[in-house]
Amino acid sequence: MLPNRHLAPFSRSGWRLWPGLAIASALIVLSVAGMGALVWETSLPSVNELWQSRYLRTVITFTVWQAFLSVVLSLLVAIPIARILARQPSFPGRSVLLRLMELSLVLPSIVAVSGLISVYGRQGWFTGLANDWLGASWNVYGINGIVLAHVFFNAPLAARILLQAIESAPASQRRVAAQLGLGRWWYWRAVEWPAVKPVMPGLAALVFTLCFTSFAIVMTLGGGPAATTIEVAIYQSLRFEFDAGRAALLAMVQLAICGSLWWMAARHGLTASLLPDRQVASHRSRAGSSLKARLADSAILGCFVLFLIMPLAAILLRGLPGMGMAFFPEGSFVVNPALLDATLRSLAIALPAGLMSVTAALLMLACGTATSRPAFTRLTDVAAYLPLMVPPLVLGTGLFLLFRPSLGASSQGLVLVTLINAMMALPFVLQMLKGPMGSLDSASRQQADQLGVLGWYRWRWLHWPRLRRPLALAMAYGTGLSLGDFGVIALFGTPGQPTLPVLLYQQLGSYRIDAAAATGLWLVLLLLALFSLFNRLGMPARKPGLAATSPSTASEPEHA
Amino acid sequence: MLNRAFTLLLLAITSVPAIAEKATTLTIYTHPSFAAEWGPGPAVKKAFEQTCDCQINYVVLNSGGDILQRLRLEGESTQADLVLGLDTATMETTRQTGLLANHETDLAALDLPIDWKDPVFVPYDWGYFAFVYDTEQLPNPPESLETLIAAPNDLKIIIQDPRTSTPGLGLLLWMRNVYGDQAPQKWQQLSGKILTTTKSWSDGYFSLFMNGEAPMILSYSTSPAYHMAVDKTDRYQAVEFKEGHYLQVEVAALVKPSDKKQLGRAFLDFMLSADFQRHIPLKNVMYPAADLGDELPAVFDQLIQPTEALYFDPKAVNENRRKWLNEWLDAMTR
Repeated sequence: MLPNRHLAPFSRSGWRLWPGLAIASALIVLSVAGMGALVWETSLPSVNELWQSRYLRTVITFTVWQAFLSVVLSLLVAIPIARILARQPSFPGRSVLLRLMELSLVLPSIVAVSGLISVYGRQGWFTGLANDWLGASWNVYGINGIVLAHVFFNAPLAARILLQAIESAPASQRRVAAQLGLGRWWYWRAVEWPAVKPVMPGLAALVFTLCFTSFAIVMTLGGGPAATTIEVAIYQSLRFEFDAGRAALLAMVQLAICGSLWWMAARHGLTASLLPDRQVASHRSRAGSSLKARLADSAILGCFVLFLIMPLAAILLRGLPGMGMAFFPEGSFVVNPALLDATLRSLAIALPAGLMSVTAALLMLACGTATSRPAFTRLTDVAAYLPLMVPPLVLGTGLFLLFRPSLGASSQGLVLVTLINAMMALPFVLQMLKGPMGSLDSASRQQADQLGVLGWYRWRWLHWPRLRRPLALAMAYGTGLSLGDFGVIALFGTPGQPTLPVLLYQQLGSYRIDAAAATGLWLVLLLLALFSLFNRLGMPARKPGLAATSPSTASEPEHA
Repeated sequence: MLNRAFTLLLLAITSVPAIAEKATTLTIYTHPSFAAEWGPGPAVKKAFEQTCDCQINYVVLNSGGDILQRLRLEGESTQADLVLGLDTATMETTRQTGLLANHETDLAALDLPIDWKDPVFVPYDWGYFAFVYDTEQLPNPPESLETLIAAPNDLKIIIQDPRTSTPGLGLLLWMRNVYGDQAPQKWQQLSGKILTTTKSWSDGYFSLFMNGEAPMILSYSTSPAYHMAVDKTDRYQAVEFKEGHYLQVEVAALVKPSDKKQLGRAFLDFMLSADFQRHIPLKNVMYPAADLGDELPAVFDQLIQPTEALYFDPKAVNENRRKWLNEWLDAMTR
């Protein structure tokens, strides 16, 4: 059957353009309205106050400085790790390592910090080692602790995204590089760098924004009020001083700094790959195959694994005593009903939130490719990252002012929490999908256009095989982020029934330290299970007939 | 298949029916430690619902500060009939919103270290801020604020930030109450001993103190009660300071726009009865606001009994908080 332009569902270009554009506009309108409502309530203080106050000046400088350091170090760790993982496609435990890397970002900060402290704190394993054996005095409280925690959260995420980019490097390039027997440096120049270059600006901006808006971690590990980020100052203005104007002004400063970064990243960002990504037999660089190279790779990787796994092991050790109470209260196996309830409630929020964020990201990306006007592309690009840049407290308060009369019933509250969680996950999800979505080369596109493979068919036969894995990963991140979320749900009044992170805080608030540690561990295990499940779902179904008709199935990245 | 599962889930959460409303529902804005499953909230709800043909509906906000914020944001259209969980540091600002009504409760049953005559706020529990220490790490803790400040810098303490946390603000007021205008200098002397200043009490207690990062943390004088009564350990104790301890009183109040004031007032009366108060000591880990006699758990006799309760009038706190905070910031970042 000849594909017919009019038969393909959703094939009109409007279908690619308008839904995404509508979501982008909605995000912009929401953000502007949220901040505008605050300004409407009071008057904006003059910008001069910002530069005259020594306090605010230090806060802004410190925020930028720690975020900058964290980005540089996170990327310095992430790049070699991603290269090694790409070079060594099969070693035992690789798939587990990838799951653990995915985990670090979505951990609730109080759980992660507790793990980090057990390793790097004054009584930590690492500190003891450093002091006794290396003769170094290590102190986690201060800028080094902040940066360490940020690297722990963000380097694995960055490495994961970079790995995905390297693995999607055109096979033809890899083949030529392998035939030429390129050494590591030249392989990096010729194959890896061109592959990671398009995602790099966005990735750097993402990590920068995450560190820029970091709050509890900076305070816990910062050592004192000298370590104050803009988010802290906003919280202070809004919650303690009821100075909405000042909060709005600070939010605008944050938006201006992070927003301009994103704008630049979008300008230098993604261009569709120029080389055809047609499938040929897979060739690996020989750079990773010599014994010496393999040993060096495993040494570096080993250090990284330790860095990643030690805090998680600490969380495990700490949570185990309380797990007995949670699952075997009277000797026999009964799941604590509060824990079970909270788990189901969390999933009921997180799964739809993940699905919504993935759908929204796809529509926004489709919109970016549907138009030839760069302004549109950039608009959708930047809009998706707004939820990260506008402080949630400001957005929440502003939106509350706007929707005041219509909020109320608790079920609406939960729907709202789901929506906002989806919005908060959008930047990450988009970052996961951007590369693979853009990897369809222009020659293939043109050919598909000529053949009339449009709309649904184009999605089904050209994009889906390439996107299956990234989609599963994006879905896992979207769901995981909402599962571990405490901030959004705390903003809106919830009825007595808690989600998992809320349960954890409730247990802490009433000194149930062991129970809280167990809840933390349970959350970590749940997240791990979730990432494994989605990874499994992302694997292509092995149907012989399908593989024959769809040549690109085989071109999928080989990572587990 | 998967899609169908998602659709079902979506349907499930969007169609959760609003809680069926009984004839009269008393809506109370409160915070998590009160409303938690093991907190006093559920037991109190059950006890009060037996005395009336009504239903209590808790709306749980993150903290006392969030209750105040929500009330300000909602203004006259608020759904709250009562607010429960404000404290002496936030009550003055809440009063100024003009959204609260007089309680008309007989306060004779109150058993507080200070005289309480407020027409709007009814206390339901109280406690002292205190430093809790780990007896295994620190056998001889400093016995006064002065010796703590003068101690060598290798003694480390964990405190909370007065900008984001209630005990943190408590310490700021404590220092101010003891040292007056000298407070900033004393803070500077103390700063060498501060391991870190966490955002909330939970961050410090869970991530740091219970991990053994520092032998002392700013907390409540009643904290050891829970460890002794439930965890069955004497390891964590509060240290009594010679200068006295700063007092925190937690309060509830009636909301003016509420059309169930009578029921609300009945709840405030009930709040000072033994049926409410007996849940406070171990479930909220604070002192009950009314005398419980023999019902007070025995571990409460083992707690420190500060001889002097330090206290600023909430009005004075409200007027000076910003100034004192800025002084603190200045002293700590110099």
